[in-house]
Amino acid sequence: MSNWEPKIIAFLCNWCSYGAADLAGVSRMQYPPNFRVIRVPCTGRINPKFILSALRHGADGVWVSGCHPGDCHYIEGNLYARRKFALLKNLLEHTGIEPKRLHFSWISSAEATKFADVAREVIRTVKEAGPAQHFIKKQAEVA
Amino acid sequence: MQAYTERIREAAKRLLSDGKVDVVIGFRKGTIPFMNEPYLAKTAEQVDQLVWDGNCGVNLANYLPKRTDRVAVVAKGCDSRNIVEHIVENQIKREQLHILGAPCKGMIDKRRIKAELKGKEPTSVEETEGEIEIKGRDLKLTLNRSDFLQENCAICIHRNPVLYDDLVGDLVEEQKDVDRYADVRQVEAMSTEEKWRHFDDLIAGCIRCYACRNACPACYCPTCFVDESRPQWVGKTIDPTDTRTFHFLRAYHLAGRCTDCGACERSCPVDIKMRQFTKKLEKDVKELFDYEAGINPEMRPALDFYRPDDPQAFIK
Amino acid sequence: MSEIYISKEKFPEVVGQLMSHGRVFGPVFQGQFHEFARLDKPEDIDLSFQNTRLSPKDLFHPHSERMFTYSLAKDDPERSILKEAPKDYSPSVVLGIRPCDAKAFQLDDRNFDTETIKDPWWVERRKTTTLVGLACNDPCNTCFCTSMETGPFDASGLDVLMVDVGDGYVARSVTDKGKECLSTLKGVQTVPAQAAEKEAQAKKAAEESMGQVLDMKPIYEKNTLELFHDPLWEEVHFSCINCGTCTFVCPTCWCFDIQDEVQGDSGERLRLWDSCMFPLFTFHGSGHNPRSQKIQRVRQRFMHKLKYYPEKYKDGPACVGCGRCVKGCPVNIDIRHVARLMAASCSCPA
Repeated sequence: MSNWEPKIIAFLCNWCSYGAADLAGVSRMQYPPNFRVIRVPCTGRINPKFILSALRHGADGVWVSGCHPGDCHYIEGNLYARRKFALLKNLLEHTGIEPKRLHFSWISSAEATKFADVAREVIRTVKEAGPAQHFIKKQAEVA
Repeated sequence: MQAYTERIREAAKRLLSDGKVDVVIGFRKGTIPFMNEPYLAKTAEQVDQLVWDGNCGVNLANYLPKRTDRVAVVAKGCDSRNIVEHIVENQIKREQLHILGAPCKGMIDKRRIKAELKGKEPTSVEETEGEIEIKGRDLKLTLNRSDFLQENCAICIHRNPVLYDDLVGDLVEEQKDVDRYADVRQVEAMSTEEKWRHFDDLIAGCIRCYACRNACPACYCPTCFVDESRPQWVGKTIDPTDTRTFHFLRAYHLAGRCTDCGACERSCPVDIKMRQFTKKLEKDVKELFDYEAGINPEMRPALDFYRPDDPQAFIK
Repeated sequence: MSEIYISKEKFPEVVGQLMSHGRVFGPVFQGQFHEFARLDKPEDIDLSFQNTRLSPKDLFHPHSERMFTYSLAKDDPERSILKEAPKDYSPSVVLGIRPCDAKAFQLDDRNFDTETIKDPWWVERRKTTTLVGLACNDPCNTCFCTSMETGPFDASGLDVLMVDVGDGYVARSVTDKGKECLSTLKGVQTVPAQAAEKEAQAKKAAEESMGQVLDMKPIYEKNTLELFHDPLWEEVHFSCINCGTCTFVCPTCWCFDIQDEVQGDSGERLRLWDSCMFPLFTFHGSGHNPRSQKIQRVRQRFMHKLKYYPEKYKDGPACVGCGRCVKGCPVNIDIRHVARLMAASCSCPA
């Protein structure tokens, strides 16, 4: 298990966090490559099914990052999303998913440093949680 | 109860003969004890089949979406809240409806009764204000009605309809000092692993018949996510992961919309207590967004609305 | 055919003997209900039940069943070739099954085991399973088997019929398989003289307790299209919420769906219960749905059971009167009431 590296699905908003990831890259900031990035037009576009789907496919962690409140390209998409994620995170944790696997952040396209910092933080906590055990869809347990 | 029945019939006849509505949705007497059947009456003769007692737990709001005619509907507290939901979500227009409000003292849980009867079968049941009298072969039993209510009814704080045109009985006193979330807190206090096991055990018997989904008035999507195939979000077998995904997403779709009417648990053929999912959401919606579903037709649902200062401590 | 007597005292020992020969399934009390399950120890079986909540059909036709597996790996020479999934066909006994449920398997055979089409898994499981039934001394108030060409003491679908005569069971073989099963049992007694009388009494009492028998004849005689277009469906369908409860608890509902599930390089073909109550059941690839309306689906279920099946096979209804759908329906649609309406073909109140 010592060389296990977590797989983390990162849903990044096109207008901010995705840009921040780009900027972190061109600025040569270092963070481990544990992410599989999925670019979305807005955090408001993220259906909770996407997050569940990531877990079902064996993701050890999920990270959703969008624009700071007030900065949404579509004015208010992230504000609706904020409510959805609050409930989703709570329900996932209530039903037995470790809190350390679920991460949310607001990162603007200028915040490359924050992006790299949060990225490292996300990886560190998901590593603490260890490999995902639950919600992974494997061969059906049937007769 | 008899008084309700008479007033429902009287109102239904009046509304039909005055041409105020085209149909009346209520209940008729069931074919087995502790069951009534939702019934659509179109004529005065059919109205005479309408009844009311403690076995009218099915949520009649479930029969309203997409109706185009003018409907009178008998509504308990929870039904009326789901009607408000339907109005808010554009499933039916207020102008189409004539709501016959039925103040409610809780519906009888046939499972609790069954457990009490220990295998004996009732043949006749009499219900009074406070008692249920059950008779059958080697069976004569008088039960205290309030001890045999559906779990959601026992903790209900909206027994009176929130929206109505007529009342078919006097308003009842609302229950005070009810601890609605004792069971949710119990789960919240568990460790992560215990929580997972708790919900695994909870849904272990599921046969994926979708009765919970179909009994729910708030579930009216033309194509449910379980039937979507491109992509397929959830497998259809009784594999534990797929069953979990179904119950999780079903509950989540009701976030800020569930009125805890208990239709899901009532309909389940294998007694799954799926309200444990939705009640957590209800509690969170109340605590985080100070919203209760189906109370105010002027208010947008919790997830179709935001405040600039919504809680966001969980966001980095 | 042979007959033996097993005292209730000796019964666990006899169950133990059966278990030493192979798998034994029986009614087990779980929480508030009885369900058929594999016995781990003889004491698990509880015959003081009326009937199980779910039918035992899943012993032969599981809710979800793996039929084939396949590989999608690029370098696998057997890529995309379906391989039959291994199954456990070791001999088994279903102990304590009710006559109605056993009769239901016979009706299901019409679908899974015909001259031209044989479902290998159903056929093989049927072949290796011995049905040791228990007659119903105490039918539920939802039971109507006597109206559906079977009955609480009907042995026709069974290999062995046991009858509870108070302090013990009389077990009588019906088939050779049943005779063989009984012959393996040791320490059993011959049937006491007074047992036959007790049996007859129990049978009479059970049949009488079921009350009025439905007259199905008018349904069979009626013109199919007339029945199809009858206004009675308007009334029947209203309360239905189109859940699959009735079909899933029904012992004679055999419809299934086939799904492929792929994980990475490996896939499997699964067979799952399906329900004519679901719109997806008849949804065509073209987007057309011949039974898009609830009324069409509700009508289909009752017409199939009570009209199409008898008409096609020139035999009784595809229903054994176990009453599970009556008990399980969340909105109290009662097939007995529907059958009466169909017989009368009039939507006036019953």
